[in-house]
Amino acid sequence: MLSVLSNPALLLAAEGEGGGVEFPPINLIVKWPAAFGDGQWYAFNKIALISMIGMLVPVILFWLAGRKASLVPKGIQNVMETSIDFVEDQIVLPAIGPDGMRYLPMLVSMFFFIWIGNLFEVIPTSHMPANARMANPLLLALTAWVMFIGVGLKHHKLGYLKEALFPPGVPKALYLLVTPIEFLSTFLIRPFSLAVRLFANMLAGHILLVTFSVLTITLMVLGPLVIVGGLSFAMLVAFTGFEFMVAFLQAFIFSLLTAVYIGGALHPAH
Amino acid sequence: MSALTNAAAEILAQVPAEATADEAKAIAGASGAGMAYGLAAIGPGIGIGYLVGQAVQAMARQPESAGQVQTTMFLGIAFTEALALIGFVVFILLKFV
Amino acid sequence: MLAAVLVRLAEEDPTAINPVVPDEIGEIFWGAVAFFSLWILMRYWLLPPLMRIREQRRAKEIADLEAAEEARTAAVQVRRDYDATLAEARQRAAAVLEEARSAAEAERQAAVSAAETEAAARRQEAMAELEAARARAIAGMGDDVADLATTAASKVVEAPIDASAHRSTVDTYVEGNR
Repeated sequence: MLSVLSNPALLLAAEGEGGGVEFPPINLIVKWPAAFGDGQWYAFNKIALISMIGMLVPVILFWLAGRKASLVPKGIQNVMETSIDFVEDQIVLPAIGPDGMRYLPMLVSMFFFIWIGNLFEVIPTSHMPANARMANPLLLALTAWVMFIGVGLKHHKLGYLKEALFPPGVPKALYLLVTPIEFLSTFLIRPFSLAVRLFANMLAGHILLVTFSVLTITLMVLGPLVIVGGLSFAMLVAFTGFEFMVAFLQAFIFSLLTAVYIGGALHPAH
Repeated sequence: MSALTNAAAEILAQVPAEATADEAKAIAGASGAGMAYGLAAIGPGIGIGYLVGQAVQAMARQPESAGQVQTTMFLGIAFTEALALIGFVVFILLKFV
Repeated sequence: MLAAVLVRLAEEDPTAINPVVPDEIGEIFWGAVAFFSLWILMRYWLLPPLMRIREQRRAKEIADLEAAEEARTAAVQVRRDYDATLAEARQRAAAVLEEARSAAEAERQAAVSAAETEAAARRQEAMAELEAARARAIAGMGDDVADLATTAASKVVEAPIDASAHRSTVDTYVEGNR
């Protein structure tokens, strides 16, 4: 399992021949060898491992919190209830309303799954956000897409499609222009931008951290440039803190946007 | 704009004659990628700055509605930022064809 | 610079797929397994106890608030009862006081009037007595004056004067001098 976690980019940077700065090719820093099932549909690599951890950690935390749930919360139960309160107060209630509590389990799982996947960007020995690969963002965005279309069709039957594609209060002739735009923005751009927002944010952060790590190591190795290497290291620390914040923010924004889309499908009037 | 296309043409002119078409395409892509991302970052940069500025103003005027303003601000940032991120993806696509 | 780009291009695997493309089916598969199992576990196993506890806590809060409200109402009621009892007691005390005062007043009135009556009677009596004494005295005085006058006249005329014959003259005189 350790071979799954090792980071060849740093090794390559340390061994850069000729003393020049050698940035690793992009596939080297985002693609990982499989631990088993290489080339098969069940190939299990580092991203898959992070995904499994992203499932197991919330399961264990919520299990511990709910095992001895008491009216006066303490310890882990307090923390997990605070997270539920956060999802309820910041995501469900503003975006959907009181009747959105039904979607709380999905939003809580989404939030934790993305957050923990993102956190592996700054967790030492891993340094790879699971969401910097297109797999998880695509999966989650498709889930959100199916969810909001499903909610719209369930609650408003075909009236949802009519409402979404032919918004009321528009002159008849303009439908020629409005309908294709609405179709594109609602049914194609929404899932696409959801996936790309998360993926690109994490990939950009990952490349940023890799760049500064490589720079720091190379400058340290070069000796005379050790002072500049120190500056580079300071930048690396600052960006690690920044990415720590981004990891949370992206998980929050993904869940919030999913809730907003579901809320829009549930109450199409506004 | 013509300066940019001139720069691209210059880079292309430097491509050695023996370079294959694929290599020429890769070089053009790599040079275009930087411009693509740089241009894509301008609009969202201005947009997010304006948005956050207005949000801060709103929060300063009505601190009691700060929570709501903040949520809406994050939503707005997410939508605006998407443009820059699409630019970033285009950068990756062009750079690493 | 250009040479470095060409070297990089030669080094890179020409069949390498762009990192944007989700080419690893395994990642999607395991991501789906992880996310959907998390969702299902959250929905049916992990969240219900916590949500139930939250619901209970909310219900308890509402019950506590209601109990507090009830206690407050009860306290207000007790206060009102106390006030009413107090007012009643005061009223009764005032009534007793008033009664006592009026009784005392009546008694005093009676005593005063009795005293006055008695005093009046005494005065009446005294007046009557006085009158009688005075009448008597006057009467006595008239006789004495008549006697005196008769005696004086007898002395003057050296002859007894019939007292009874001049009596009326003296009486008239005394009456006139009164």
